[in-house]
Amino acid sequence: MTNHFIDYRNADAFLIIGANPAENHPQAMRWIGMAKSKGAKVIVVDPRYTKTASKADIHVRIRPGTDIAFLNGMMNYVIENNLFFYDYVLNYTNASCLISTDYGFEEGLFSGADIKDGKFTYDSKKWDYQKDGDEIKKDPTLQDPRCVFQILKQHMSRYDLKTVSQVTGAPESLLREAYDAYGATGKRDKAGNLIYCMGITQHSYGGQNVRGTAMVQLLLGNIGIAGGGVNAQRGESNVQGSTDMAMLYHYIPGYLNCPVAPKHPTLAEYIEVETPKTSYWSNKPKFLISMLKAWYGEAAAKENDFCYDWLPKLDGKDHSHMAIFEKMDEGAIKGFFAWGQNPAVGGPLASAGRKAMEKLDWMVSVDMFPTETATFWKRPGVNPADIKTEVFMLPAAMSFEKEGTVSNSGRWIQFRWKAVDPPGEAESDLWIADRLFKAIRNEYKSGGVFTDPIMKMVWDYDTPGMEEPDINKIGIEINGYTIADRVTLDSFAKLTNDGATACGCWIFAGYWFEDPDAKLPACQRRIDTDKSGLGLYPKWSFAWPLNRRIVYNRCSCDPAGQPWDPKRTLVQWDGAKWVTNDVPDFGAKDAKTKEPTPPEKSAKAPFIMVPEGLGKLFSSGMKDGPLTVHYEPVESPVKNLISKQQNNPLATKRKGNFSKLAETGSKEFPYVCTTHRVIEHYQSGAITRNSPWLVELMPEMFATISPQLAKKLGIKAGDDVLVSSARGEIKCKANVLPIIQPMIINGSIVEMIGLPWHWGYAGLAPGATANDLTPCVGDPNTNIPESKAFLCNIRKA
Amino acid sequence: MPKGVLVDVSRCIGCRSCQVACKSWNDLPATPTSFNNNWDNPPDLTATNWTRVGYHLIEKEGQLKWRFVKTQCMHCEYPACEAACFTHSFVKTKEGAVIYKPTELNQDYCVGCRYCMIACPFSVPKFEWDKSFPFVRKCRFCYDRLKEGDKPACVTVCPTGALQFGEKEEILAEAHQRIDSNPNYIKHVYGEKEYGGTSWMYISDVPFEELGFKTNVSEKPIPLYSWNILKWTPWIFVGWGAILTALYTYNKRRAEVHHEEEMYAPVQDEE
Amino acid sequence: MNYKIWRFGKWTFRLTSTRYVLMALVAIMVVAAIFRFVLGLGAVTNLSDEWPWGLWIGFDLLCGIALAGGGFSTALIVHVLHKEKYAPIVRAALVTSMLGYIIALVSLLFDIGRWHNCWRPFFYWGYHSVLFEVFWCIALYTLIQVLEFGDIFFERVKSRPLKGILEKIMPVLMIVGIILPTLHQSSLGSLFVVAVDKLNPLWWSMIIPFFFVWSAFFLGPAMVTFEGSLAARAYGRQPETEVYQSLVKVTMWMMIVYLIVKIIDLNTRGVFSLAFNGSFESNMFLLEMIGGIIIPIIMYAIPSIRKSQQGVAVASFLVVAGVVFNRANVNFTGMAQAVGGSYFPSIWEWLITLGFWSFLVLAYCFIAENFGILPKEEHGASHAAGAQKSIAG
Ligand SMILES: Nc1nc2c(c(=O)[nH]1)N[C@H]1C(S)=C(S)[C@@H](COP(=O)(O)OP(=O)(O)OC[C@H]3O[C@@H](n4cnc5c(=O)[nH]c(N)nc54)[C@H](O)[C@@H]3O)O[C@H]1N2
Ligand SMILES: Nc1nc2c(c(=O)[nH]1)N[C@H]1C(S)=C(S)[C@@H](COP(=O)(O)OP(=O)(O)OC[C@H]3O[C@@H](n4cnc5c(=O)[nH]c(N)nc54)[C@H](O)[C@@H]3O)O[C@H]1N2
Ligand code: SF4
Ligand code: SF4
Ligand code: SF4
Ligand code: SF4
Ligand code: SF4
Ligand SMILES: [Mo]
Repeated sequence: MTNHFIDYRNADAFLIIGANPAENHPQAMRWIGMAKSKGAKVIVVDPRYTKTASKADIHVRIRPGTDIAFLNGMMNYVIENNLFFYDYVLNYTNASCLISTDYGFEEGLFSGADIKDGKFTYDSKKWDYQKDGDEIKKDPTLQDPRCVFQILKQHMSRYDLKTVSQVTGAPESLLREAYDAYGATGKRDKAGNLIYCMGITQHSYGGQNVRGTAMVQLLLGNIGIAGGGVNAQRGESNVQGSTDMAMLYHYIPGYLNCPVAPKHPTLAEYIEVETPKTSYWSNKPKFLISMLKAWYGEAAAKENDFCYDWLPKLDGKDHSHMAIFEKMDEGAIKGFFAWGQNPAVGGPLASAGRKAMEKLDWMVSVDMFPTETATFWKRPGVNPADIKTEVFMLPAAMSFEKEGTVSNSGRWIQFRWKAVDPPGEAESDLWIADRLFKAIRNEYKSGGVFTDPIMKMVWDYDTPGMEEPDINKIGIEINGYTIADRVTLDSFAKLTNDGATACGCWIFAGYWFEDPDAKLPACQRRIDTDKSGLGLYPKWSFAWPLNRRIVYNRCSCDPAGQPWDPKRTLVQWDGAKWVTNDVPDFGAKDAKTKEPTPPEKSAKAPFIMVPEGLGKLFSSGMKDGPLTVHYEPVESPVKNLISKQQNNPLATKRKGNFSKLAETGSKEFPYVCTTHRVIEHYQSGAITRNSPWLVELMPEMFATISPQLAKKLGIKAGDDVLVSSARGEIKCKANVLPIIQPMIINGSIVEMIGLPWHWGYAGLAPGATANDLTPCVGDPNTNIPESKAFLCNIRKA
Repeated sequence: MPKGVLVDVSRCIGCRSCQVACKSWNDLPATPTSFNNNWDNPPDLTATNWTRVGYHLIEKEGQLKWRFVKTQCMHCEYPACEAACFTHSFVKTKEGAVIYKPTELNQDYCVGCRYCMIACPFSVPKFEWDKSFPFVRKCRFCYDRLKEGDKPACVTVCPTGALQFGEKEEILAEAHQRIDSNPNYIKHVYGEKEYGGTSWMYISDVPFEELGFKTNVSEKPIPLYSWNILKWTPWIFVGWGAILTALYTYNKRRAEVHHEEEMYAPVQDEE
Repeated sequence: MNYKIWRFGKWTFRLTSTRYVLMALVAIMVVAAIFRFVLGLGAVTNLSDEWPWGLWIGFDLLCGIALAGGGFSTALIVHVLHKEKYAPIVRAALVTSMLGYIIALVSLLFDIGRWHNCWRPFFYWGYHSVLFEVFWCIALYTLIQVLEFGDIFFERVKSRPLKGILEKIMPVLMIVGIILPTLHQSSLGSLFVVAVDKLNPLWWSMIIPFFFVWSAFFLGPAMVTFEGSLAARAYGRQPETEVYQSLVKVTMWMMIVYLIVKIIDLNTRGVFSLAFNGSFESNMFLLEMIGGIIIPIIMYAIPSIRKSQQGVAVASFLVVAGVVFNRANVNFTGMAQAVGGSYFPSIWEWLITLGFWSFLVLAYCFIAENFGILPKEEHGASHAAGAQKSIAG
């Protein structure tokens, strides 16, 4: 997220959309509560009345999958009623930029649409800026019909209150109330904090949902300021760290795109294609080359492109979760490491996923418990003798049983010390990875096809007398150091593209740099001083990048460098230099002369990570369009009311066992279903369903329906019910609570079902798996499955 | 100095970390539960569940309110349990905790009569029904931690600040400060006066009676009720004894006189 | 009816089929008792955290002691007030009372979870507890009753010196033996004073101790009457109808006072209307007051009813049932709303209670047959005939 948890306390209003922090990020509620007690308004947009909604001033109940209608409606309202932050929009967003005349939008589709090989595509070139050479053409009056602002205004005008109400099911008066309350943050002295999570992302247009949240924040001038921000509350305790370190298949560490063989055959070509001329990303070659130096050490030299050839390359195809399981099912994948994941419960259409695993020759589960995945071969209903897969279980240590860093949603990298020894044979993941690598390298000693990347990779983490690889050595490698004298770097600004520096992950640079006060690596320090009074705590651990707590903080002051709101000063131009509370997210000093740079310069490009330097109200970077459009979920009870185009034309779909879908308005599956979490259980429940104290709190799988639907179907609380989708059926307990209510969609009643997805057949408290029902369709940008809106039926068992 | 805890219902999110922390610190086993439509398992305080967050989903004029209320021993200033116990098995410590001596101080005088359970106005003490020699169990204000100057386990883990621990006087002042400065609060600090005051106190933005609290209860300490009767015991003993003795001797005298005449006369109705 | 007679030494005991049944019940109780002590309370009772006190306390203890109230009220009437005309019934009352107390103590021992600690309260004085008073009074009073019974006992087991000593201290025993029950009969009520806000205001009152002691007192004559009538039938004797007739007038007047005080109490606490709000509690309350107080008052007041043996027995039975009902209402009905949940005694609880009371009947019979506790027979002729239709047979 752009801001961080403690900063929540500085907000004047919250828009919590598709997130339920009271269940899933309880600690966040501390700061939300603090802001609330100072008068902040809390708006929760969720199809269910959640524990978070119970703390809200306004709860807007929307039909699952209609967030864009809601957000677009807000943008329309904010523009129509002049609630947006004019100076911010004008100066810090691309509102004034002129868009190519090729751009158009009709019936739910943007210009550039085409069908190629039976596949829908967009030519995003059609959405480019109008340019004068390298300069983007602008109209600072915001009146030009081709300027982003006018295009946006026109685009959003379809989303009037009445339409939004018909689509979402939320009453107009409530929408107006919410829009007014949040729109009130479009003032220079008001900060609105937008929190989102899986209710936003897990849709076939999840990426666009997220875009929508960012656009709202840009319009209201809420990014880059204390108390504002687009705050994606991340999931697993270290999911932030894992994505930072490229756990996603299409990245290498530090969010550099993974080289794709056809696109980036050589280092030069990679650099050529991937490096923008402007923005901080122009330094990308330094990051990549330093990374190659960290990986391949001595072997990496200018002459051999720093061993760029040794890097594994993508083939340009989809290798996300769904694609892997599809391939597995086709028999194209032989072996599988389920390392700290439990797809037999957590994956979309998990029943088909489990079946696909049967095609594997071998599978390794690195976990603390014999999870559903680890025991898929003896799951209920199968005969283990029929399954040929050889399954290995490597017992792993739990987080408290090992040391290492964890990055939270606020990008704070916090080192945690080991509390207890792991039980039995369990070892830390680092230990397991270390031994695995060494074993593989040992195998290759006798030769192989292409052994260099393995044989010559830097792997020198041993310290005599120590069982575990030396975490300090790894920390320094990731942090970055000079090759010549092995000096640990304090900043990625010191990285070079000539091989003089090594750095495993450029955004982490400085996290292992010793703090002079604490005498500890930055991520290990715990000094709780905060002169800003804004809760920045600069000496508490380390926030990437560069220990910056609030990114884009140039936007917190006007072009002349004066804070929009003096109570929230992050950086300020005192006439001669920048006075700072936070690490400036712009060139506060000239890189060469070290002279302070005057505010006018940074005011031109306050968003230093994007080429235009401006917040993108309109973006050609998304596969499915530059502006947010309401589409229906792939499985929807109703026709798209706003345009002919029913679904996201680019939504990814699957083949074979993963392809089943219900048609729009299905009679067989009349209810909208969404999946959610409960605080007592964590994810697939591997840990929590093996923890008696938590099982005690939430023992059984259930499905929540409204009292009205329960009455209609003759279902009583606690009854056994069967919930079915086009893909299967599960049995669980009926939970009848008014937290779920029927919604009136375009005049007719739509009922919904809420399913927690934490149960599976393993563990102390087994139960039915919600993901046996979810569809395998995904967002074109991220491939996240659409597990938050699909069609179901329910009946008494 | 006696300690106290302020429970701010308006801040509680029902995460139940407190429930788990209590079990963890106090080594209490999990109870087997089954699906609970209200989500607030386990359903009751028991000998192994010393604290519990009750979920109250209130539907009023189409508006929902969901509130979460932690319950445990209130650690009364004038504990009914202590006063009720005829073996002195409960005691209010100087730190403010009301503790059960058999388990806490190894002074095992309790006979297991359960009068403390009847007496407690909040129905807090629970019994180990499944043991051959059961103890009475309840929240102990984490007395071991309290003595060391630490917060109770449940307060330590509360993520939202719904639980605040401190000197009782300061906690009470904080409670008043909060309800005075924010119109959303009900103007009542529950536990300030109830039964003479308790060490755990509550403030809320929803009327207490809608949250399962007993309201309009006595402000008089419960022990006073029985004491007001018990204090007469010696006087009754002596007074009644004197009257009886006087009557006895008087009537005996009379009877002896009477005896000769009437002893063998048939019994007659006095009518 | 035929029966055998057990003889051991100079003691005799008739063995009738009813008594076999009672003995079987006692035997079952002994088995149940083993279960209870080995497995714990949870395993054999339906007691719960909501209902910590059940049948054994609510009936065996509260009612047992109340029913035994005949002992102290007749003692007061006969020995202190020297209404010697009631002397014939005083011994039977004493024995019943003593047995009632013993049952109460034993059921208490069954009921307490940590019975191995039962002696502790003698040494650790929680004097601020009502239960402390109850405990001491009951313990001492039982002792006194045993001593008082010694007076009867040593008539049969000849021991001049012991009987002499007992006779000497008898006046003191007598007086203390009235003070103690006064205290604890009222304290049994005081126990519930702490249940303010828990016990329904129809029953909760600061003067609940008065109601308890007063009702225990007026219950005495009624109990003696009722039980005397039973015993008379059992042993085929002529009941002491005249004695009863005048005795129950004491009860009647006391019940009138009770009724008036009750009304005043409800009124001053402003809860009078609760009695008529149609709730379960109000109905139970009305049933208690009408069936257990008002109707018996009327029956006693009507001379024709009072003078008939049948009538006086029925009215007395109502009084007894009324008091039992009152105790049950205080312990169960009045608490139900506040504590929630529900309670119905388990089969084991019933069996143990049945065993207690069977034992009480057997013990009473044994004592009645071996000691001179029943009034001297005036109409000897009826003896044999009566024995034929004996219900105890
Ligand atoms: N206790 C606990 N904490 C967790 C986790 C856990 O499993 N248990 N998981 C962690 C992980 S990995 C993650 S990613 C996060 C997830 O955190 P959240 O995203 O907060 O979790 P969810 O409960 O899946 O979804 C949030 C809310 O989205 C709502 N929702 C569903 N559909 C829609 C929709 O179409 N629009 C909108 N606006 N809302 C919708 C649901 O009703 C739900 O209340 O939590 C993390 N924290
Ligand atoms: N229907 C539906 N499905 C969903 C979601 C949803 O909202 N709805 N949410 C999705 C989301 S956001 C996520 S993140 C995924 C999560 O899906 P998964 O990641 O598959 O689920 P987890 O249960 O988190 O799996 C983590 C595993 O790691 C193990 N583990 C924990 N700590 C360690 C460790 O230190 N080392 C090792 N080696 N193992 C460890 C745990 O025991 C557990 O088995 O589920 C997705 N699935
Ligand atoms: S990460 Fe841990 S401490 Fe933070 S909210 Fe989640 S469970 Fe609580
Ligand atoms: S709440 Fe009950 S158990 Fe706790 S101190 Fe008060 S009377 Fe005793
Ligand atoms: S159960 Fe124990 S602690 Fe409670 S009143 Fe009886 S003796 Fe005292
Ligand atoms: S104070 Fe201690 S014993 Fe009491 S509820 Fe909290 S954690 Fe449990
Ligand atoms: S830990 Fe705090 S917020 Fe969570 S349930 Fe307990 S009191 Fe409420
Ligand atoms: Mo996640």
